[in-house]
Amino acid sequence: MRVTVLVAEDEPLMRERLLGMLAAAWPEAQVVAAPENGIDAWDAWLEHEPQVVFLDIRMPGMSGLEVAERIGRRSHVVFVTAYDQYAVDAFDAGAVDYLLKPIQPGRLDKALVRLREKLDARPDDVSEVVRQVREAAPGPKREKLKWLKASVGKQIRLIDVEEVLFFQADSKYTRVVLAGSEALVRIPLKDLVGGLDAGRFWQIHRGTLVNVNAIRAAERVDAERMQVLLRGSDEVLPVSRSFTYLFRE
Amino acid sequence: MWKRIAAYYRECDEEQLAVLRNPALAAQAPAGWRRFIACKLAEMSPQEREELHRFSSTVRTSTVLFAVLKLLVVLSVLGFLSNLAFLPSRPWWHTVVAANAIGITLAFSLFGVWFNYGKIVRAKGKALVTIIGLGLLGGLFGALTAMFEKGDQWAVLLDKLPKIVVIVTLVVTALVAIPVIVVAVLRNRHYQLQAEQLRRDAEQERLARELSETQLRLLRAQIEPHFLFNTLGAVQQLAEQGAPRAAELTAHLIDFLRASMSDMRCEQVALATEFALVDSYLRVMQIRMGDRLRYRVDLPDALAATRVPSMLVLTLAENAIKHGIEPSLQGGEIAVTAHDDGGTIRIGVRDSGVGMSDTPGAGLGLDNVRHRLRLAYGEGACLLLSEAEPGLLAEIAIPCKEPQCA
Repeated sequence: MRVTVLVAEDEPLMRERLLGMLAAAWPEAQVVAAPENGIDAWDAWLEHEPQVVFLDIRMPGMSGLEVAERIGRRSHVVFVTAYDQYAVDAFDAGAVDYLLKPIQPGRLDKALVRLREKLDARPDDVSEVVRQVREAAPGPKREKLKWLKASVGKQIRLIDVEEVLFFQADSKYTRVVLAGSEALVRIPLKDLVGGLDAGRFWQIHRGTLVNVNAIRAAERVDAERMQVLLRGSDEVLPVSRSFTYLFRE
Repeated sequence: MWKRIAAYYRECDEEQLAVLRNPALAAQAPAGWRRFIACKLAEMSPQEREELHRFSSTVRTSTVLFAVLKLLVVLSVLGFLSNLAFLPSRPWWHTVVAANAIGITLAFSLFGVWFNYGKIVRAKGKALVTIIGLGLLGGLFGALTAMFEKGDQWAVLLDKLPKIVVIVTLVVTALVAIPVIVVAVLRNRHYQLQAEQLRRDAEQERLARELSETQLRLLRAQIEPHFLFNTLGAVQQLAEQGAPRAAELTAHLIDFLRASMSDMRCEQVALATEFALVDSYLRVMQIRMGDRLRYRVDLPDALAATRVPSMLVLTLAENAIKHGIEPSLQGGEIAVTAHDDGGTIRIGVRDSGVGMSDTPGAGLGLDNVRHRLRLAYGEGACLLLSEAEPGLLAEIAIPCKEPQCA
């Protein structure tokens, strides 16, 4: 039985090493993507929705912890770290799987045994432990975006992020829709995601982030699909299957 | 009777000594003049209280009384002699009483000021006005007494008044106000010098303590476990692939470890040594990060032997990697340079990474750098951070001469 796996690690040699060891120790694993930063990791997750995710904690763009929070209970998460003593202690206490770099084959085998056992069950909820570790991280928290610059004709428009109804991916651009107007910003949606408050802007689709305050209703289209109706716009936004859980009662 | 007076005196004395030790006790003194004195004592500065306490508890009452007696004798003799010399027409006891009155007043004022100088110095003008005002009142009182004694008319008094005022003011100013204020100012200066000396001693002690603490911190914190484990992981991977770069990476890691171990032990190193350490660090990082990192280390020969506090440039380079290049999606370039800017040596670490806004935790290493610069050069050196569009420039500016303490 094939198992889809995503490996996110920013250093090329470490990535090769983990991929090589996985190939040797777990033949059923099919690596669907091996992104080298947090933003690509989340984007690749949205594209492939793999069963198992190996996440390096320190990555550019979004940390492995942030990616794990977004994934929630939709994949089995194994963290990878060289030395984050606090995180390791919290993972031990919360029974969260992790690997220490440099990865030793014996340790990987143990982790794989555990994974295989859990594979058919619903993934563990790691969000509480992850939130603890993130809050304990030293230094100031990353600033969230407050303003966006969008060019409209000859003008540069400043958009208050709170006023945005929804963001929609448009190849290399992002469509920013407000009540009564819209603009195009020159940043791909996947790069914007990390700068937006995940509690305020819900990702309901790989290409759509919607402001929670703008959601009027969510309705069922058929057994699998849902769509979101908005306040202040007539557009109807499709909800992809993996995000319908957001609207379950 | 005598016993009761002695007991009362001792009680007052002990109460005042207690207040000098602990000003909070002033509120417990019995109301009236004893409370008044206690409150005045409590208002004095700690050092004034300390001195007065030392004086009061070491000098015995009999000694003081004997000294006062001696003073009275000397003043009486002076008064008698001045009667003979200047005012033979007056009865001798006039000048004796006057000399005793003036002398004792002056002695008490000076005694008071000796211990309670702070108040006078804080309000010199007020003290001067008070003393001269009291003098004037005394003069007026004297003039009125004389008038009644001689049966003069009001008109005569008014006629003489300006003269009396001028004389009394001059005498009081010369005899009392000036000595009192001069003593107060001198005592206060002495006090301030002493306080300044104490402050300087404390500062010096603090710096010395911080120096040893910094050295300890340096020893503990320099080789980051993250760096070590990730590098070993990379070495392992290269070795498993049979890549010749495994040996190369190991060699750079060995260079780095050896250099940082020996650097950590000395407070000062030559710039050439420090730059070699930074170079081996960046070589290791370059192999690990691949094409996400480019770098350049450039040291003019003229500065090779210049001595600088160890590990500072390395800390800046580590910061540039950790907070500039690693968080950046595209990676970037690091340039480590040094140049002599007319008496000031500028060592710069510029990275083209994410810049100032997105650098969580950058503070710790930089605080350490600032700290060690201050320990080595005082105010003569500084660390400047500026936006480098893109990225960040961290620059250390140090004076050309050797640091003050090794």
